[in-house]
Amino acid sequence: MDAYANIITMSIVIETHDLSREYKTYQKPEGVMNSLRGIFKREYNSKIALDKTTLTIESGKIIGLVGANGAGKTTLLKILSGLVTPTSGDARVLGFKPWERNYEFLRQISILLGQKNQLWWDISPVDSYALLARIYDLDVTAARKKVNDLAEMLQCAHVLNTQLRRLSLGERMKMEIIGALLHDPKILFLDEPTIGLDIVAQENIRNFLANYVKEKEPTVILTSHYMDDIATLADRLLLISKGNIVYQGTVDEFVLNSNSELAQDEKVDFEEVIRRFLETESRIR
Amino acid sequence: MKKSFAVFWKRNLAFAKLAIVSNLEYRLNYFVDVIVQPVLTTGIEILLWFAVFKGANVQTINGFGREYYLSYALWAAFFARIATSWMYEFRMIEEISSGTINSLIVRPMSFYEYYLSQLLGYKFITTIISLIIPLIAAHYFNLPTIYSRVPLAVVLCFYYLILVHTISFLVCCVAFHLTKISSFTVAKNLLFWILMGELFPLDLTPEPYKSILLKLPFAGGVFLPVGYITNRIGLNEMITGFISVTISLVVLNALASVLWKKSLATYAGTGA
Ligand SMILES: Nc1ncnc2c1ncn2[C@@H]1O[C@H](COP(=O)(O)OP(=O)(O)OP(=O)(O)O)[C@@H](O)[C@H]1O
Ligand SMILES: [Mg+2]
Repeated sequence: MDAYANIITMSIVIETHDLSREYKTYQKPEGVMNSLRGIFKREYNSKIALDKTTLTIESGKIIGLVGANGAGKTTLLKILSGLVTPTSGDARVLGFKPWERNYEFLRQISILLGQKNQLWWDISPVDSYALLARIYDLDVTAARKKVNDLAEMLQCAHVLNTQLRRLSLGERMKMEIIGALLHDPKILFLDEPTIGLDIVAQENIRNFLANYVKEKEPTVILTSHYMDDIATLADRLLLISKGNIVYQGTVDEFVLNSNSELAQDEKVDFEEVIRRFLETESRIR
Repeated sequence: MKKSFAVFWKRNLAFAKLAIVSNLEYRLNYFVDVIVQPVLTTGIEILLWFAVFKGANVQTINGFGREYYLSYALWAAFFARIATSWMYEFRMIEEISSGTINSLIVRPMSFYEYYLSQLLGYKFITTIISLIIPLIAAHYFNLPTIYSRVPLAVVLCFYYLILVHTISFLVCCVAFHLTKISSFTVAKNLLFWILMGELFPLDLTPEPYKSILLKLPFAGGVFLPVGYITNRIGLNEMITGFISVTISLVVLNALASVLWKKSLATYAGTGA
């Protein structure tokens, strides 16, 4: 293999081939008799959340993953981070099969689920970070300094010592973000990091992330329903619809393509293009 | 290899500390768990033995006088407290059914070690406080007790605790597929209470049950350690106990690791 090919293969950090995930859910029928019957015999419905997804992602890129509710965004992130196992297909992240949960792999990634807490609920964030430093085998003083620096940037140093359960949603999200970045992950999966935050807080976090990725150059997959997040942060756009990737490319190309399909005098921005895309989709559904 | 063991050791020490710090936050719960509950159980069992000896009008049962049974009841309640896992098993199950396990399985550590270290850490701080009570009581009432045997007895009980944790871990594998299985924990722990010898010394059961019960690993939780302290058994039986717990650990851990892998493969990432 020549050097050039080597560089190319090196720079691809995420690769999937026909990656699919099907969920089985138990359909609970109405009524007492049916409940009794359900003790012995249950009917399951299956739902394909991710359908034969093939994609490659290069190192250092920020990918914006956009799609309607239930399109499969969280499912894709969960598979790529090793949280759930695909029902078929294959994937390599940093050369590992994520669902084998090799420690070497887990040490290099981070997943932040905006809708869930990941730090310890009953203790203060600083105590959580101390624990994380042990888990990821970090130098304790360096980790402490890193926490302080990140907290400074996020303007939340004053809540570091408060029990997590007593913090507001926005403060908690900032704490979660620090926790996700503490071990300098090479790949960062951010599932709705700005959900439920006020506009100023959203902007804060957006700017913080923009600075952070400029400095550390991790590979990021970001989902958000706020198109400003995507437009500001993402180098590339992945559009997902009912478990299928329907567009891969840059945000600008996407807007340009969409505009070229419109009448001459009409021009729309990114947010509007996405709105139209989601509207069409909800009509078909 | 050496380095990864050091990392393993340090993080597990941190988990044990987490358990100690977070449990001492809940002072009342700690106090009840460490003192109130075993004292109540001991009280009831001691009264029962008084009644048994009075009603049967005998001097000895199975070759042991009343004082031996009082001593057994006193120690057994405290050892059974150590050798049973309620809180952490419930927490582990809850972690799975609510989906908060997500934040644990994407980190470079195992669910098994995370909870084992917490369990051992918690049991450590409950044991050093709660064992003071039988030590004082046995001394004050002059009950038959071989104090020099207490350390080895505690070691066997803690060793058995690892087995208890492994069984909790097996229960967790089931929790991926069935929700609300805490009633199972209750039934299981009550059964273990009897099998461990908390209610009565296992050597009172007729053959062939006696031999079977003594060979089962559960005897390592209460009967063997307490029998050793109160001079019902000797070192040989203790060694047999260590061996029986070891064998069970090997078998159940092998089974658990297979089941755990299978369960995680079907896990949907949102709780059971
Ligand atoms: N644990 C589960 N069991 C059954 N079905 C599930 C489960 N998790 C997700 N699904 C289904 O899979 C599909 C994709 O869900 P997913 O959470 O990936 O969507 P999403 O794109 O993240 O949506 P949102 O924008 O609302 O977060 C949905 O139809 C959902 O109902
Ligand atoms: Mg989602």
